Amino acid sequence: MKFLSLAIKDLKELVRDRKGLFFILVFPIFFMLVFGFAFGGMGQNNTPYKLAIVNYDEAVTIPMTGESINFGNNLTQLLEEAKYENSDVNLFNVTKISESEADALLKTRDIDAALIIPDNFSQSVLALIDHTIVTTTNPLAASQSTSPNITSTLIIRGDTGFINFGVSQGILVGVLAQYQDEIVIQTQNAVRGTPGAQPNVFLNSKVEPIEGTQNFTNFDFIAPGMIVFAILLLATTVAANFTREVESGTLARLKLSKMKGFDLMFGGLIPWSLVVVVQVIILLVVAVAIGFHWQGGLNSILLAILVGVIGGIASIALGMIIAAFVTSVSQATNLGTLITVPASFLVGAFFPLPDVEILGVPFNAFLPWTHTLKALRALLTYGEGWNDISYSVAVSVVLTVILFAIGVILFSKNRLKAEN
Amino acid sequence: MADYIIETQNITREFDGFKAVDGLSLQIKKGEVFGFLGPNGAGKTTSINMMVGLLKPTSGRVIIDGQGMEKFDKAAIGVCPQEIVLWDNLTCAESLNLIGDMYEVPKDILKQRVDQLLEDLFLTDKANTLVKNLSGGMKRRLNLAMAVVHQPGIVVLDEPSEGLDPQSRQVLWKYILSLRDEGKTVILTTHLMDEADRLSDRVAIIDHGKLLKLDTPVNLKKEIGGGDIVEITLSDDSMNQKVIKKIEETGNVLSVLEVEGIINLRALNAVGKLPQIIGDIEETGARMADLSVRQNTLEDVFIDLTGTRLRE
Repeated sequence: MKFLSLAIKDLKELVRDRKGLFFILVFPIFFMLVFGFAFGGMGQNNTPYKLAIVNYDEAVTIPMTGESINFGNNLTQLLEEAKYENSDVNLFNVTKISESEADALLKTRDIDAALIIPDNFSQSVLALIDHTIVTTTNPLAASQSTSPNITSTLIIRGDTGFINFGVSQGILVGVLAQYQDEIVIQTQNAVRGTPGAQPNVFLNSKVEPIEGTQNFTNFDFIAPGMIVFAILLLATTVAANFTREVESGTLARLKLSKMKGFDLMFGGLIPWSLVVVVQVIILLVVAVAIGFHWQGGLNSILLAILVGVIGGIASIALGMIIAAFVTSVSQATNLGTLITVPASFLVGAFFPLPDVEILGVPFNAFLPWTHTLKALRALLTYGEGWNDISYSVAVSVVLTVILFAIGVILFSKNRLKAEN
Repeated sequence: MADYIIETQNITREFDGFKAVDGLSLQIKKGEVFGFLGPNGAGKTTSINMMVGLLKPTSGRVIIDGQGMEKFDKAAIGVCPQEIVLWDNLTCAESLNLIGDMYEVPKDILKQRVDQLLEDLFLTDKANTLVKNLSGGMKRRLNLAMAVVHQPGIVVLDEPSEGLDPQSRQVLWKYILSLRDEGKTVILTTHLMDEADRLSDRVAIIDHGKLLKLDTPVNLKKEIGGGDIVEITLSDDSMNQKVIKKIEETGNVLSVLEVEGIINLRALNAVGKLPQIIGDIEETGARMADLSVRQNTLEDVFIDLTGTRLRE
């Protein structure tokens, strides 16, 4: 398998070129540190975020008391009164409006996020309370419980390219998780007769500060952008590497052999993908060390690596395209920088860009790294899972495949055929 | 089976209007060492690159073992480029194994070949040394090993002695002759007359992209005639033409001409004729600064064909 021999060759060259490897891995860390220290404090000024609540919830009657409760209103009230930790400043400025009004305000960025409470929200809260009562009073019967398992989905809607949405969403996810935990704890306390608990009240509407929210900063939004920036920079390195093979004549030596274009390209993918894996891990560790509030678990790292590798392959493809046209390593480096740095801005790696659409599609949606960034933010900043990033990943894969095909065609045509 | 292993049919290569190779037609026999002799910039490397498929001819056709360039078996040719083309961060053994893999040489056979090549080219103790830590001569020898690790039938060596110390050159020449003994066709480009003379079965003399002459070294030297070469340097080279005229009038020599400020004459029994020649020079009033007598070489053939020396 020729591609494997080439992959091993590339890997050995990469590892043995200590200086080159040092720059590949350390350069992005330098940027991460600069941005970490520059933006790590931003967003900590306890500003209330503008939240629209669209409440479709229908009230339920609690069987034991006959009381009608709308948990959607209860949640809304909680969000209205929630304050930053050790502060009198509210987390949110809440407006209660219709879904269409919320969508319009989101587009103009007059609000930071919208929370849509579904019509069965109260039913699911009630089901949660029922389930908690059963499991608390008779754990053995819990497995045979016939109480319905009603789930409701709260939608947090917003512009993922908008920093304020990122921060709002991070806070909301925390508030909602704590809201559910509180329901369970309060119910358990009520059933067990914990001193001070009122047996017939299943929800305590007391507002408590939300732990952790005071720390969410703009850097949490930028850190995944720095990972994408590093991945994009790889295109320059790959272009320089391919061009070095051209310049030194080693590519001609390979051309004379039975090697096919596929072997060269596929062989190159493996070591550079490993570089991306190492980059994502190192950058994430550095980001966390300087204040990034990583929201996901171990799974999020694995998914982030997968997403990073897809973005990395897109960068390798871009590197091949650059190498197809330049004639020297210095040209490859210059052209690579000229393309990757603006591309990093275009995909929103450093700061969100205004929503400019071309034929109804955001202008940067055609770049695979836009979707890489979206997926990485969802995973690492917002703590979302595979279901939430699958669309971004799918689009990123499609765009990467297209870019890679273009790279293979151009590089093969210009560099692997006999010179015209 | 074709009589000729490589045939070029009127190939021409232009670069921005400049003809690097101009209507070159050659036939290279299987199993011979074919020398391409010409000064730097004569079009030797361009011709070679077209023959091995790295460069498309602007016009004309290359046929390898009866096949056009589109169909020939890549494993049939091994190329040792003029420049040292190696991966600095691989070891000698890794480099050879990589190229062997690229030519799909089976692993067990490849290991034997790599060991043998390293031994033949005195690189065994450097097998695990990174290329960047090798001396220039060692790199040259590895450069050659990379061209033959897949045991091609045709070995193309582009200025293989460039930059080699005398010891490495001897190793290289011995190895080239062993390739011929194995029945391989060797195409050798060089601007060194003694290299072309000693190694080649036939030599093509090329300059300005054109084939000037093609024959065996012996025939080429015979063609310009027998005799020795006398080279005379005058203390005042403005007297050269006057001296040449005088020597021609005496009619004692086969040919006499000025080459780059030196009087170059060819004569049978040159040593016996030296007193007469020196007398002619003194009669013109010129003074000799230097005089040498030697047997004729391929360079003299080149001088005879072009009126100039091989350019360095």
